[in-house]
Amino acid sequence: MGNRQEIRELCQRFAAHDRQALSRLLTLASRGEQLEEIRHLVGAARAAPLDGQRGSPSRRVVAITGSPGVGKSTLVGRLIEVLRHQGSSVAVLACDPQSPLTGGALLGDRFRMPSRPEDPQVFIRSLATPGGRGAIPEHIDLMVALLQAFGFAWVILETVGAGQGETAVRHVADVVVLLVQPEAGDDIQWEKAGLFEVADLIVVHKADLPGADKVEAQIRTLVNLPGCREVPVLRVSSHQKEGLEELVKQIEILASQSRTSASSAKARLRDLLRERFVQAFEQLGGQAEELVRGWEEGRLSDEEVFAEVIERMASSSPSAN
Amino acid sequence: MYLVATTVPPSGESEIMDKPPVRIVLAKIGLDGHDRGIKVVARGLRDAGFHVIYAGLWQTPESVVRTVADEDADWLGLSILSGAHMTLVPRVLHLLRQAGLEHVGVIVGGIIPESDVPKLLELGVARVFGPGTPIPEIVEFLRGRTPAPSAS
Ligand SMILES: Nc1nc2c(ncn2[C@@H]2O[C@H](COP(=O)(O)OP(=O)(O)OP(=O)(O)O)[C@@H](O)[C@H]2O)c(=O)[nH]1
Ligand SMILES: [Mg+2]
Repeated sequence: MGNRQEIRELCQRFAAHDRQALSRLLTLASRGEQLEEIRHLVGAARAAPLDGQRGSPSRRVVAITGSPGVGKSTLVGRLIEVLRHQGSSVAVLACDPQSPLTGGALLGDRFRMPSRPEDPQVFIRSLATPGGRGAIPEHIDLMVALLQAFGFAWVILETVGAGQGETAVRHVADVVVLLVQPEAGDDIQWEKAGLFEVADLIVVHKADLPGADKVEAQIRTLVNLPGCREVPVLRVSSHQKEGLEELVKQIEILASQSRTSASSAKARLRDLLRERFVQAFEQLGGQAEELVRGWEEGRLSDEEVFAEVIERMASSSPSAN
Repeated sequence: MYLVATTVPPSGESEIMDKPPVRIVLAKIGLDGHDRGIKVVARGLRDAGFHVIYAGLWQTPESVVRTVADEDADWLGLSILSGAHMTLVPRVLHLLRQAGLEHVGVIVGGIIPESDVPKLLELGVARVFGPGTPIPEIVEFLRGRTPAPSAS
């Protein structure tokens, strides 16, 4: 393999804001290679943002999900235009399923999006998703972190949402937008209604088609039952460019809520601890849950939590026991 | 993780990968609106295990190169029917080099007069495929040649 040198070089180029290095690192992350190095890089960039990013607006991660053909890519393309118009940079990770038999994939989302070769503030990467419909690619969280560390204010994930994938996407995205479209005649199927639960925002897309009001009315009665959390429902037509600004506004509102809601920040920190440290840590007699509680209650800062973990890890060297 | 010397499995046969998938961008440059041929190639390559990024119609050399860069592709497949290949292809190759993407292999398909083929190869195109080339032939060529820029 002998590519320690290569990864180090890539990280240096990334830090110097080299777009090709970003592109390459995304590939490595998607393949699960050099994860440690990349995590390290992302962490360092978070602590010391790249040039020109200090004081930049807060970051948004938005998932756009919905059945095949509902118009996700087209809408993402429109969102790119609106966001650029507002002066925000935007990166897209567009996921399409990979064949479980051949490993092949036809990644056809990007051709629905505007190509803006002259605009460095837009980045689009197509990704194959193993594991069938609804799943999201492994290490997508790291890819999002790379894009953010590079300076993209918005990261949009396009995923075919159908089932378990949605819960996975929740861990990465601040806001999950579910697209539905007017359907000939029928009532909304109940399986679909199950998906509504994971959405923060429901878009009746292709609102230029007949039947949009009917679908909207049905959804409203389904999602806004007494006792349930309220989910905004919007009508959008990408073809007619209607409802796009409103959609961005709603996403902004929801994202700021999700950011300030302590529960989501807590969940993320917990996940991180669980995933990376807990096992090793507890083998050394550490008590991860205790630390998390201390952090929640404000008795411990992030730094103190990590210091405790690192100390214990360090104490695992044979001489210390 | 390890790049093993690629043997070419019988055409059409699937191959579960012990190596990273090869990524190829397919794009049509020029003004004509025929995308049937390129879509057939896209599906064929997908079925052969490639990750095909379909960039679609009406691309410019600039947009194609941007796509290759952001997608970190190993290959670029251009389809050109408009007859402007002798201006468009050199432009693409130039922009690729300028972007530091000379490791990306370029193949060209479409209607290319026999006499232009050597010129394109001379310029750095890896191979020119005429209309109606059987997919397995393309697959075999790509597999045999797949450099390993991204599999280092
Ligand atoms: N009437 C109407 N059609 C639309 C609209 N937006 C997209 N479409 C059409 O819907 C079809 C599918 O659009 P895509 O954007 O590819 O849908 P997608 O959800 O990304 O599809 P997959 O990625 O294959 O799951 C295309 O034919 C679009 O032209 C809209 O606002 N109104
Ligand atoms: Mg799509």
